[in-house]
Amino acid sequence: MALVELDNVTKTYMNHVSVHALRGVTLSLQPGSFAAVAGPSGSGKTTLLNVVGALDQPDAGSVRIGGVDLTTTPPDQLADFRLRHIGFVFQAYNLLPVLTALENLEFIPALQGESKEKRIRRAEELLRTVGLSDIRDKRPNELSGGQQQRVAVLRAILTEPEVVLADEPTANLDSTNASLLLDMMEELNREKRITFLFSTHDPLVMERARRLIRLRDGEVVSDENRDGSAAGVKP
Amino acid sequence: MLFFNMAWRNVWRNRRRSLLTVMAISLGLGFNIFMRAIGDGFHEQMVDNSVRSHIGHLEVHRAGYHDDPGINKTLPNPEEIGRAIQSLPDLRGYSLRVLGDGLASTAENSAGVAIVGIDPTMERKVTTINRGIVRGEYLREGEVRPILIGERLAVNLKAGLGDKVVLLVQAADGSMGANLFRVVGIFRSGAPELDSGMAFILRQDAQELFSLQNRVTEATILLNSSRAVPASQQDLQSKLAGKGVEVLTWYQVEPFLLQFIQLDDAFFYIIVIFFFVVISIGILNTIMMSVFERVREFGVMMALGTKPRQIIKLVVEEAFVLALVGALIGSAIGISASLYFATEGMNLSSWAEGAAALGMTSTMVYTRLTAANVVISNLSVLAVVVLVGLYPAMHASRLRPVEAIRHV
Amino acid sequence: MKFHSTCARACSVLAILLAAATAWPQQKPDAHSLVRKTDQALRGKTQHGKASMTVRTPDWTRTLEMEYWSINPDKAFILITSPAKEEGTSTLRLGTNMWNYLPQVERVVKIPPSLMLQSWMGSDFTNDDLVKESSLVNDYTHELVGETEEAGDPCWRVVAHPKPDAPVVWGKLVLLIRKSDALPRKEEYYDEKGRLQKSLSFDDFRRLGDRNYPMRWNMVSVTKPGHETTLLYHSLEFDRTIPGRVFTQQNMKRQF
Repeated sequence: MALVELDNVTKTYMNHVSVHALRGVTLSLQPGSFAAVAGPSGSGKTTLLNVVGALDQPDAGSVRIGGVDLTTTPPDQLADFRLRHIGFVFQAYNLLPVLTALENLEFIPALQGESKEKRIRRAEELLRTVGLSDIRDKRPNELSGGQQQRVAVLRAILTEPEVVLADEPTANLDSTNASLLLDMMEELNREKRITFLFSTHDPLVMERARRLIRLRDGEVVSDENRDGSAAGVKP
Repeated sequence: MLFFNMAWRNVWRNRRRSLLTVMAISLGLGFNIFMRAIGDGFHEQMVDNSVRSHIGHLEVHRAGYHDDPGINKTLPNPEEIGRAIQSLPDLRGYSLRVLGDGLASTAENSAGVAIVGIDPTMERKVTTINRGIVRGEYLREGEVRPILIGERLAVNLKAGLGDKVVLLVQAADGSMGANLFRVVGIFRSGAPELDSGMAFILRQDAQELFSLQNRVTEATILLNSSRAVPASQQDLQSKLAGKGVEVLTWYQVEPFLLQFIQLDDAFFYIIVIFFFVVISIGILNTIMMSVFERVREFGVMMALGTKPRQIIKLVVEEAFVLALVGALIGSAIGISASLYFATEGMNLSSWAEGAAALGMTSTMVYTRLTAANVVISNLSVLAVVVLVGLYPAMHASRLRPVEAIRHV
Repeated sequence: MKFHSTCARACSVLAILLAAATAWPQQKPDAHSLVRKTDQALRGKTQHGKASMTVRTPDWTRTLEMEYWSINPDKAFILITSPAKEEGTSTLRLGTNMWNYLPQVERVVKIPPSLMLQSWMGSDFTNDDLVKESSLVNDYTHELVGETEEAGDPCWRVVAHPKPDAPVVWGKLVLLIRKSDALPRKEEYYDEKGRLQKSLSFDDFRRLGDRNYPMRWNMVSVTKPGHETTLLYHSLEFDRTIPGRVFTQQNMKRQF
């Protein structure tokens, strides 16, 4: 069974800058995917991530994550759904500025009600595995952009959600840092079988994604599978 | 704890703005505590002045005397009443008096007076008229019909020390009582109605003048503290139940005084509310600004799964931090100022005229700091600040994460 | 002729009717004159007499004997002759001023204006009642409101309202005046809210020389239940010449 299933999802955003829209997108994502949604700005990739990430509900169609239909989930339960099932990495300003790296990692377990002792132990262990123990007590403004994004990725995967959504995670990074970040995510995907879905227009990300979905004007224009497993596009 | 740490650190992100807010809160609270302490001190002095110039904390009369006084309404069985009074645990002193109305006249002039017949030894323990003697001296047992009159009455009657004053009264048996008294002292209490309309004579002279044999009109009681008044009143009422007497407190005898204090308190609270409104606007502004600056941050928090309730809690906690720091500093300011002026006193001589009308004999006001003042002031500030924080907190909690994350 | 006599008869009937019509209001006296007549009948030009005053209260009852002299409307002197405690006490009134002489202390005491409404000698008469004798005529407007019968005497009923700036404490007075000799039968004193405060009734009318006179005056207080003052005249002379030295402070002191 697919982990993420979108069936004919339609969603229109309008603000004073632009119209973002999804026009009948249908796709599915298997557990353990390492997929990227690419397309020019305004193509609907951020909207797609918002819908998948339970930040927003579609105007029409259905979204199922791990079998739960988000279109029928009451809006006030979406926060809890995100907390328990989805990890987020944003383009920038991911980390809460008043918290140290370690405390930022503690944030989600703390929201989940985990004991202080346990969540600190988990956070420290994770920092150690990725070799970032030396920055544990640094605040975000004392970290480089690459370090901040890596901490953000660690925060997203710490509680092992079903899917991590990363919205242009490398947009503000140089290619060295972008590679480092992708290395880390690939490793987490491999080691911990964590599913990643990126939105990006960074060629580096598109290159390393094992599946590449291209959007244009809110529609899937291509869906390319590079590891041989079945692509989720229905004919 | 993680969330309280966040709140604490968020407050100090904009140190200058938060310090200004804390300063506004602490000055407001300090001022509030100090003003309340002045008011409490002033009211206590007023009550004390009134109580100690004439009325005492408690008065015992024959039942019905207060509503319709009359020279015939004397205390039944004063010895028994005296014993009951002496058994009061908080008793400082009591005095048995004869009260009556009459006409005081000299060759020059006449004036209606309230005549108080006292036992100087007992009266000294209750009232402070003896301290207000401006010329001559207090009444002494053994003198021939001495009289002590108020300063204004002395002027009206054109009577000086040693002058003769005739008191003409209607006695208890309906006859006209008249006698000649000699002025031995002139007092100033500060209360106009006393200084222009009251004359003190020896109790036995008053009993003779009013044909009362050895009957008395009232027992005036001074307690160790005005706080003991309600309990002592109950105590005495139960001891004297069925004896045909009434036991009245100073605020029943002089309701005007209590009404004045209540009115004064009401004005104080209006000012306090005004202050709170001003401070609240400042705090609201601070918290609103800090919320608007962090829209993207709230967006991230909410995307990660923070519930609106938890956002509200965070922002309210930030307001609480501001209030708490302000309250600590403000209490320190208010308490130290109140304690300082409790011993040093404040000279309000420029208000003296108004103060005299309220029965104040001194122009010094000593602040009085009560635990209730500190506790209530602090709790009100904390409550107001938290309430004020609620509005921006609700605003933050209603942000939509999708839009908030992209907020610039 | 026939016509003439008919006319004459008719005219005479008309004349009688007219006369009756004009005579009717003449029987109803002018209120102001009536009150003036009452005042004169009650007081005369001068008075000298002896009386006793009994004051009853719930606490005590006592009787004062007194002798008094007055030149109306503005001079009066009252001397207490009994009981012993008050013997020699006197009250002098000249115009609106009043003094008491107190033999116990051998002093003359002036009654200040603030005490004019206090009781005189413990009675239900105020100092003011003694001073303001003539004010009934001068300080009030009068209105005849009807007729009534009081204790068998046909009386006029007169309501007196104080003139706007008159120095009077009452809201109104109701007077019952005997039709036969214009003497008062009853005076009722109301406060400004129209509540009856006290009432003074006159009884025991006797012939004294050329006039009738009420020998018993009884004042009942409504505000102070149980308070009542009765004035009984023992002897009374009108319009005799009284020497002016009676109404002096020297005279007060000389009595003892």
